[in-house]
Amino acid sequence: MSLFSFLGTLEIGLIFGLVAMGVYLTFRVLDFPDLTVDGSFTLGAAVAATLIVSGVNAYPATFAGCLAGAAAGVVTAWLNLRFNILHLLASILTMTALYTINLRVMGKPNLALITDPTVLTPFEGLGLANIYLKPIFVGVWVIVVGVLFALFLKTQYGLAMRAVGANKRMAQANGIVVKEKVYVGLALSNGLVALAGALFAQTNGFADSTMGIGTIVVGLAAVIVGETLLSSRKMLMIIFSCIVGSILYRLAMGFALNADFLGFNASDLNLITALLVGLALVLPQLRKEWKAKQAAIKANGGDA
Amino acid sequence: MIRCEQLKVTFNPGLPSEKKALRGIDLEIPQGEFVTVIGSNGAGKSTLLNAVAGDIPASGGRILFGDKDVTKTPATGRTKEVARVFQDPLAGTCASMTIEENMALAYGRGSRGKLSFALNDKLRKIFREQLSRLNLGLENRLDAEMGLLSGGQRQSVSLLMSALQPSSILLLDEHTAALDPKTAALIMDISAQIIAGKQLTVMMVTHSMRQALDFGSRTLMLHEGKIVFDLAGEDRSNYEISDLLELFAKARGSDEALDDDKLLLGS
Repeated sequence: MSLFSFLGTLEIGLIFGLVAMGVYLTFRVLDFPDLTVDGSFTLGAAVAATLIVSGVNAYPATFAGCLAGAAAGVVTAWLNLRFNILHLLASILTMTALYTINLRVMGKPNLALITDPTVLTPFEGLGLANIYLKPIFVGVWVIVVGVLFALFLKTQYGLAMRAVGANKRMAQANGIVVKEKVYVGLALSNGLVALAGALFAQTNGFADSTMGIGTIVVGLAAVIVGETLLSSRKMLMIIFSCIVGSILYRLAMGFALNADFLGFNASDLNLITALLVGLALVLPQLRKEWKAKQAAIKANGGDA
Repeated sequence: MIRCEQLKVTFNPGLPSEKKALRGIDLEIPQGEFVTVIGSNGAGKSTLLNAVAGDIPASGGRILFGDKDVTKTPATGRTKEVARVFQDPLAGTCASMTIEENMALAYGRGSRGKLSFALNDKLRKIFREQLSRLNLGLENRLDAEMGLLSGGQRQSVSLLMSALQPSSILLLDEHTAALDPKTAALIMDISAQIIAGKQLTVMMVTHSMRQALDFGSRTLMLHEGKIVFDLAGEDRSNYEISDLLELFAKARGSDEALDDDKLLLGS
């Protein structure tokens, strides 16, 4: 892998670290499998790109993209909480609706941002080549957001959110308003994912109506890879492992696609993703079984 | 103080599966009284407790805490007054969170949703002190995951958690039923300590006749959603388990044999 493609991979890995945090919040903290992210990633990109193209400053445009994503999360939460639609199904409904909404927002399937000023523009005069600037810039964003997110999960409010995911009845008995936490959690999660979308559009110079497909799998892959490699109970470490997982996932993917002897090409991406996620899910289970076996052999005096 | 006026709870109203769980309960429990509640399966004991806690909405009648009408207040709005311990030792705590995190959650009961840190050294010190009362060595395992603890240990911590914040009402729903006799005795001991120390108004549902008579100062018997017997004072101190069983039989109708003596006689 060349330095150029490594830095590109690193940049995308860092951006998807934000997606991984969002997915961690819904899947792991709230126990609410949320597929809305496939749509809200694109929504963040579409809203930010459209506003930038129409002349709005890139920072408020990015913020607007985040808010739009958060709103999408609230819709999913509402469908689930108000009408008892199964969470997976509710999120699929929102995701499907978002596909049309994204096309409407952009007015066409693809929006180029090549010449427009982005969040990166103020830093381009610093004398750093673009291939270095982009990953550093994105890295700072991801680390700041990650630290804030980890600190949030350690507050009373964050702890209450974790209790809602872990044990609803207990949470309620301790005065925690469950529905409110789910609304806020989904808004926050999809806001993070939309932020990733908005940054992705600006660093890569386009927003596309199909760019969000598979976001959820990639986010989940990052969470699982991170958890497998760095299992920790410390909040900061968990968030850090989301980011690391995301980068490693991208690197593994890049390696698989670049290695000629494997014979993969770009259209095999989804199969490789599925295999990687599958592997990451299976390994901890196999390790557990193997350890149990070893323990049993030991207990039987080593003759088993 | 808890007051129920003509409290009714009906499940699935208007449907073929309609079930009248409470058929008009009139009950007044003065501040600081410890009431035990007995009754056969399906008598409405747990429903009564859940209605007081707010988990189940009342279909009719009123519930008051002191002078405050809480009939329409959801469970989360009643947690300033009400603390509870569930029958299932796993229900009262979060398995995936640490002991200190669980206790911090309970500590925040009634003052929810702040963006300040949930844990600090001052709180840890309080938690350690509380945990050392249990003599289970848990005070040195604050950062252990709750799921690693045994059912008895978890129930002990749940009990401590219920007393971390000032509350006036404690609801115990067969909270020793799932434990071995030794642990159950320990839990009852700690319960009694907490209750006496805090002058709590207590409702304890139990299947054990022994517990029902040994603890508290008043015993209610529910049958088919109504209070069929209300024992207190002198009368109660003269009662034996056999007398209670007789009452049970009477409540169920004399032709219905008591087929679960073992359950009822359990320690």
